[in-house]
Amino acid sequence: MTDLAQDLARAAKHHNLEAGFDVERIRQDFPILSREVHGKPLVYFDSGASAQKPRAVIDAMVEVMENEYTNVHRGAHYLSQTLTDRYEGVRETIARFINAGSENEIVITRNTTEAINLVAATYGRKFLSKGDGVVISDMEHHANIVPWQMLRDEIGIELKIAPIDDRGVLDLDAYGDLLDQNTKLVAMTHCSNVLGTVVPAAEIVRMAHDRGIPVLLDGSQAVVHSKVDVQALDADFYVFTGHKLYGPTAIGVLYGKAELLAQMPPYQGGGDMIATVTYDKTTYAEPPYRFEAGTPPIIEAIGLGAAIDYVSAIGMDAIQTHESALLAYGMERLGEMPDIKLFGTAPEKAAIFSFIQEGIHPFDTAATLDRAGVATRVGQHCAEPLMARLGVDGTVRASLAMYNTTAEIDVMIAALERARALFG
Amino acid sequence: MSIPAEKLTQYDEYVEALDLLDEESRFEYIIDIGKRADKTPFPSDCMDDVHLMHGCMSKVWIVHEVVDGVHEFRGQSDAIIVKGLVSMMTGSFSGLTSDELAAVTLDQVRGLNLGALTMQRQVGMMAMLKHMQKLSQRAENGADRSAAAE
Repeated sequence: MTDLAQDLARAAKHHNLEAGFDVERIRQDFPILSREVHGKPLVYFDSGASAQKPRAVIDAMVEVMENEYTNVHRGAHYLSQTLTDRYEGVRETIARFINAGSENEIVITRNTTEAINLVAATYGRKFLSKGDGVVISDMEHHANIVPWQMLRDEIGIELKIAPIDDRGVLDLDAYGDLLDQNTKLVAMTHCSNVLGTVVPAAEIVRMAHDRGIPVLLDGSQAVVHSKVDVQALDADFYVFTGHKLYGPTAIGVLYGKAELLAQMPPYQGGGDMIATVTYDKTTYAEPPYRFEAGTPPIIEAIGLGAAIDYVSAIGMDAIQTHESALLAYGMERLGEMPDIKLFGTAPEKAAIFSFIQEGIHPFDTAATLDRAGVATRVGQHCAEPLMARLGVDGTVRASLAMYNTTAEIDVMIAALERARALFG
Repeated sequence: MSIPAEKLTQYDEYVEALDLLDEESRFEYIIDIGKRADKTPFPSDCMDDVHLMHGCMSKVWIVHEVVDGVHEFRGQSDAIIVKGLVSMMTGSFSGLTSDELAAVTLDQVRGLNLGALTMQRQVGMMAMLKHMQKLSQRAENGADRSAAAE
């Protein structure tokens, strides 16, 4: 059997693992996936940065602009009432999607970054003070580092870093040791954007709660790859963004337990977040509106609602099964290449491959992949401290999604072989 | 200010060569230039923060000196493709006076026709030109200050 035939046979075997999940049908829902790049079919392996949009999302956003558009929450007319109902319906959709106790626990933000900044600026300023510790992990996105550093510089909190091992697995014992009497908050990724590591979130929350410490989980990557149940996790805050979840940019979500949100002061001032305003005094609206100053991202919310409906119809479990097959196949193929050094080999992992080719700069590798139509990200992935921990200046990251196939992984492998020939 | 044609012979050679190639061959051509540039020694003590050009996905160092009133540049990068691109830029636009260098336009960089090799690299080339112009301007200002001091 030739190498090619072996590859095809193995790919076919993995395709069988995907039985019941019709990836070709799903691909047809994403218009951009039929385009070419540099004369080659687009292989989109940059979904960790931002996922592509299904027709359902595009149509919903166009439709609302063409037929239903107005402002929400304030108009004394038919369009405003119907669109307000639709907009608020999305809040209910989001709540159901992550199994929040109520739609009032869902705050609409611009993205994950804003959601974390919101918690740092409101909960942090009110409940944290000089000397208090905030525990993060050694594999955080800058979005879950910098807001806490800013708070540290402002009020003198201490940032504590829970270490990872060389596979990218969180050291739970070391994490437990950081939960001392000074620690007042844990803010941790649920799934690393660089390594793909999925942390034992329920255990992390339980350990913190045993010591009375609330937990914020950054679910930007996790919510895309598997079913998330914030009540089962018992997370106090859970944040994610719309554009990685096949929805539009400029919309994100902060889930917060009702009793916590109720105690938090507003984030920004303006319209929509008030109860009454006089020149002497303003009273603020109840959560979630208290945290949503100004006209919200209305069209984006409709798009995110459509995206959640779309993935829910397919089923997060089915998506996870498909992506697990992609992960296994990708790890196997990359593992066969002697010049590939993989970062992130945790047993619990999403289909995110971070790697370098020995002796080849990641930029050169990524540029060669690009020539083959394979879109990846190269660099530090907004995680410079993690890169320092890994001892590299940067990596190539292939982050896969539900619309990817094993055949596309084969295209990447062939392009990596070409890179070896060009630069090796 | 127009730049004398004889000072842009290297630039013209690149433009002509790239013009004859299809997109895939251009990619390999730049890699070849990068590999060839690797054989020209670049002072390792210049691969430091002082000579680092910020804002690139790979590291780029540019060394600049004024020789007989014209600006000479040498570049280095840790990525071969970028090394090729830096080499094309420093090769194209070395040997110019300050005024001539300031007259190099973004259109001339676009004239190298590297756009198809992704915007990132195209934008990187623009940044390189601006960096080289800034270095020459800084040297010019330094010389002015020295002259004024005398």
